[in-house]
Amino acid sequence: MATPLQTPLQTHSTMTSEALVAVIFLPLLGACAAVMPGRFPARLGIVAGLLPLPGLLVAVTLAVWHDGPAWLELGGWAAPLGIRLFVDPLAVLMLWMVAIIGGIAAAHAWFDFPPGTGTGQKFWPLWLLLISAMNALFLSADLFNLYVCLELVTLTAIPLIALAGSKTAIRASMRYLLLALLASLLYLLGVALLYNATGTLDLYLVSDGLGAAPPMVVTTALALISLGLLLKGAVFPLHIWLPQAHASAPGPVSAVLSALVVKTAIYLLYRLWLWSVPATVAAEGALTLLAVLGAGALLYGGVLALLQERLKLVIAYSTVAQLGYLLLILPMASSSAWPIAWQGGTYQLLSHGLAKAAMFLAAANILHGLGSDRLSDLQRLDQRQPLSLFALAMAGVSIMGLPPSGGFLAKWLLLEATWRSGQWWLLAVLVAGSLLAAAYVFRILAATLRRDDPTEARPAAETRSIPAAQTACALLLALLALAAGFAAAPLLEFIEAGTPGTWSSP
Amino acid sequence: MIGLAIDSVLALGIVWMALQTVRSDSLFQAMLMFIVFGLLMSLAWARLHAPDLALAEAAIGAGITGALLLVTWRRLQVHGPDDSNGPRLMTRWLALPIACASALLVIIIGWTALQLPAVPGTAGELTLQRLEDIGVSNPVTGVLLGFRAYDTLMEMAVLLAAWLGARAVATEFRPGVLPGPAHAEVPLVGALLSLVVPISILVAVYLLQAGGSAPGGAFQGGAVLAAGGVLLCLTGRLEAAAQASALERVGVILGLAVFSLTGLIVMATGGPMLALPGVWAIYLVETALLLSIALTLVLLFAAAPGLRRAP
Repeated sequence: MATPLQTPLQTHSTMTSEALVAVIFLPLLGACAAVMPGRFPARLGIVAGLLPLPGLLVAVTLAVWHDGPAWLELGGWAAPLGIRLFVDPLAVLMLWMVAIIGGIAAAHAWFDFPPGTGTGQKFWPLWLLLISAMNALFLSADLFNLYVCLELVTLTAIPLIALAGSKTAIRASMRYLLLALLASLLYLLGVALLYNATGTLDLYLVSDGLGAAPPMVVTTALALISLGLLLKGAVFPLHIWLPQAHASAPGPVSAVLSALVVKTAIYLLYRLWLWSVPATVAAEGALTLLAVLGAGALLYGGVLALLQERLKLVIAYSTVAQLGYLLLILPMASSSAWPIAWQGGTYQLLSHGLAKAAMFLAAANILHGLGSDRLSDLQRLDQRQPLSLFALAMAGVSIMGLPPSGGFLAKWLLLEATWRSGQWWLLAVLVAGSLLAAAYVFRILAATLRRDDPTEARPAAETRSIPAAQTACALLLALLALAAGFAAAPLLEFIEAGTPGTWSSP
Repeated sequence: MIGLAIDSVLALGIVWMALQTVRSDSLFQAMLMFIVFGLLMSLAWARLHAPDLALAEAAIGAGITGALLLVTWRRLQVHGPDDSNGPRLMTRWLALPIACASALLVIIIGWTALQLPAVPGTAGELTLQRLEDIGVSNPVTGVLLGFRAYDTLMEMAVLLAAWLGARAVATEFRPGVLPGPAHAEVPLVGALLSLVVPISILVAVYLLQAGGSAPGGAFQGGAVLAAGGVLLCLTGRLEAAAQASALERVGVILGLAVFSLTGLIVMATGGPMLALPGVWAIYLVETALLLSIALTLVLLFAAAPGLRRAP
């Protein structure tokens, strides 16, 4: 397998490495500033921590586009002695998602958690640390450092859920905490075994030693790490903590949890199975097993989403389902259709992130405006909150995979890949998953347009108004999810450049 | 022979304590067993020639964690529901499957560990070879502040997140768990404090200073210093405040901020990110870390947004 090591090592320009460091450390120092009392340090921390990210990422993207993947040795110590950062198209894409979704959700949160006030004081340091931790995670090339990053992501995400303050939210975050700690422990046990078997913690050097290590050790280590990541990524049947946690969190937090936080674990599964594990380790069976779990997630999550009575729970179960697509591509890693499958999977990562964040922000607006997100209370939403409904519907189009949207493109590529590689069972699962998605999205839309019950309809006076900017945030994300279907060509080319080496079975 | 006997007793004791912790009927008893378990673990680390781990386990695993557990117990008694005396039925029902799964995991990992080959040229061996490049002779400090300084920096962020998380969850300010100034007038308390608190500062500074060449360092030192702070809380010399003062906030972020800024300044002046320029920089960063760690642990123990001197 062509690991990045076999491509000539790129010497990075200083500017790129400074941009990479800034992407991690600006939000980190912003969090420190936001801890200080008063309105000014908090605002400074938020603005300085989030606003420069897109600009920095333009520099990183251009560098990766022209010169290929780059390494950055922290402290000047080469691996395996030190820790390095690694940036390739996949990492760049994830960083962009953090910058865009994290930024827009932050703008939404600005109104609910004004910086410098009581709740804002609690919210912003955690938020900025979470952004910093995710950026660090997507860049890290070291298995132990990734453990620390995973912990930081978890320990910042969980209090953010609890900030909703309700009993459900506290219970859900406690359950999340306990299961996430178990997951971290499993991951760490696996990493310890891998280190002892290979003598390195570097994600991209581990593969060299794995061939010589006893198969039992490798299997146990990979199983433990994967189990931990599946639990953190809420992959069926280890998803039990997700729906309540994501549904009871404050709106912008739900958006970031579903769009980014669970993806960190999936991202690491990709890195582990597609970059670290060499072809000498018979991984075909494991990849198929992961895809079976993905298929289970797709079907189970879809059916459960259909049965929910609350809007945010429908969206949360939809996350359980949509994560399934990301695992479905794995068994195609050895087929000739792999580049297409990879494009489809990565595009799903992107478009689901945008659409799901938009849905959660729109749902937060609806919940705030109506005081309830029960589907039965949503009738005549087209008159009461037309723009939020529009955002919800546009994002729904992408989740269902209707053209023209990012979701459509992702699912089209996935279908093409399964067709070409002859994985018929995957094809069937894909179609069933999309039908279920269409069913639960239309169920929401039908509930919002219902007006057959004039006696129970609430008077318009009861609706609270929402700041126009909050509506705009949801709308913007939904339009981005839609736009991902149009301007896809350069993006797909960029993704294809980062396809993990053409994978051949032993 | 004696070594083997000690090890056997230790191993049996650890398993026995773990068992007692899990199957104890009362929560309080389970906590005490867990603290003893931590102490035995620290002895085990010492027997395995890992004195740094032994120190950390004793100071953090048994000491600070034990204090946190006990103060939580007290909090449950003051504010909590009545059923805090025993584990719920639900826990009992889950106990067997969890125990079986854990046992299976231990067997698998133990079996796997037996097959581990001796790999040449590991990162650990490289560390020992290149230690003089850092300028300290304790390999643990060399790794934590040198080769893998970035990990330590991120761990400080985790500690900050723990404090932020505790602050976010504490929805209302509830004094009354820590004993108030009423207890402060017992005559022996003052004498005890005047002895123990200075010693905790002394030991913390010693551990920090010794960390360059012997077991010790910011984490162990911070935990010892925190023990002094915990004592001040327990004797009513420090009491909970509804807001953290600006100074406390600076203290909590000090370690992370000094560490990051030092790394960034090095990069701005043309060096690699986070390459600490010399041993003085290691001690500067470690001092900041120690203060932040100690303050954060005390604040976590007090479970209050801030602390102030009792009147």
